[in-house]
Amino acid sequence: MQPNSPLRHTKHIFRVGLLLFAAIVALILGRSFFVPDTFGQYGPYRGANVGEQASHEVRHGGRQSCQPCHTDEFEEQTEGGHGTVTCEVCHAPAYLHARDDEKIADMPIQRSADLCLLCHQQLKARPPGQPQIQPRQHLEENDGEPGPESCFECHEPHSPL
Amino acid sequence: MSEKERCSRESGPGVAKSRRDFLKQSAACAGAVVSFGVVGIILPDDVLGDETVDYDWNKHRWVYLVDTTKCIGCGACVRACRAENDVPEGMYRTWIERYEIPVEGEAHVDSPNGGELGFHAVTSGMEVRKAFFVPKLCNHCEATPCTQVCPVGASYTTRDGAVLVDDKRCIGCGYCIQACPYGSRYLNPTTRTAAKCTWCYHRITKGLKPACVEVCPVGARMFGDRKNPDDPVNEMLATRRVQVLQPELLTKPQCFYLGLDMEVR
Repeated sequence: MQPNSPLRHTKHIFRVGLLLFAAIVALILGRSFFVPDTFGQYGPYRGANVGEQASHEVRHGGRQSCQPCHTDEFEEQTEGGHGTVTCEVCHAPAYLHARDDEKIADMPIQRSADLCLLCHQQLKARPPGQPQIQPRQHLEENDGEPGPESCFECHEPHSPL
Repeated sequence: MSEKERCSRESGPGVAKSRRDFLKQSAACAGAVVSFGVVGIILPDDVLGDETVDYDWNKHRWVYLVDTTKCIGCGACVRACRAENDVPEGMYRTWIERYEIPVEGEAHVDSPNGGELGFHAVTSGMEVRKAFFVPKLCNHCEATPCTQVCPVGASYTTRDGAVLVDDKRCIGCGYCIQACPYGSRYLNPTTRTAAKCTWCYHRITKGLKPACVEVCPVGARMFGDRKNPDDPVNEMLATRRVQVLQPELLTKPQCFYLGLDMEVR
């Protein structure tokens, strides 16, 4: 080949081109190996995770989920003084008790005064409209016996005074 | 011809590039650009599971509203959140703070166990002028500082406004936990990944309220949809005087507060 031939660099360019091609192939392979399938589908994150998050188990059924089996308690409770307190607040999340309309375990029945005091212990920070007591004073005034279930001697939790 | 002259003749600007070389180089460049472009496109497919197949995230823009004047600090929300989301012990996706502002001196703030087991009467002996509870949770900020620091794209904002963490992608570096000015994130000690309030994304995509809203006995916690004109929360945001936490940070929180005191941070 003549020193001034226009083709004298062909070999070099071919080598560089080959290197570039190899780099591109490596990039494509590497990317497809390291980047999850749905990454970038909706934005710079793994799109499949949205569906994964949405498919977690629902554990609190809400009071409507209790109604079909516990109609009487439901009516008594929603019309009473605890009408805004849903069943699961004092009992437990519905998923521990029933699944697919089948009972799988007993629902815990809590009778501890500690549970009542979560809402009714007198605290300065509570809004004034909230019914609150000083437990000892309240028992003395109403001739109550101090004990772990003392509230239930006078109060019916589903529909208290 | 001297050595110097020869060099300048071969490599200097005076040497004309052949058309073939030029085309070759151009083709190589174009090929590289096209390759990058093709790799960047990922074909869409249906990702939402069967249960949520009717859910269209473009039709919702979720928003949270807390009425601090109603909160009684019972902790039902904190307990419900733990049960609903398997929140590990000692960690909180939502918590309740009690503010007690004395006649003189600085405000006293406490949140024993995040308020999960309720609050006891204060024993510090100070004379309290006013006191109130403030429920807190992730603010699901529109301009969130936490997702932008994630080095692996594990944290993101959904189109309906929830800020989520992909625990399969998270490497547990903790940048997002430090970036959040509200302290809403924690590192799950078992999985070693970041976790936070999801607004119970598995519930809201099925038409339910988040667990904390569901169990709140006094309606202090509310959840609404900005894209639903009949939503009562939307109505309250439009007509009531609402505030966000630390508005000076410009994070555009999507968790709004009614009756927020200036002492609250």
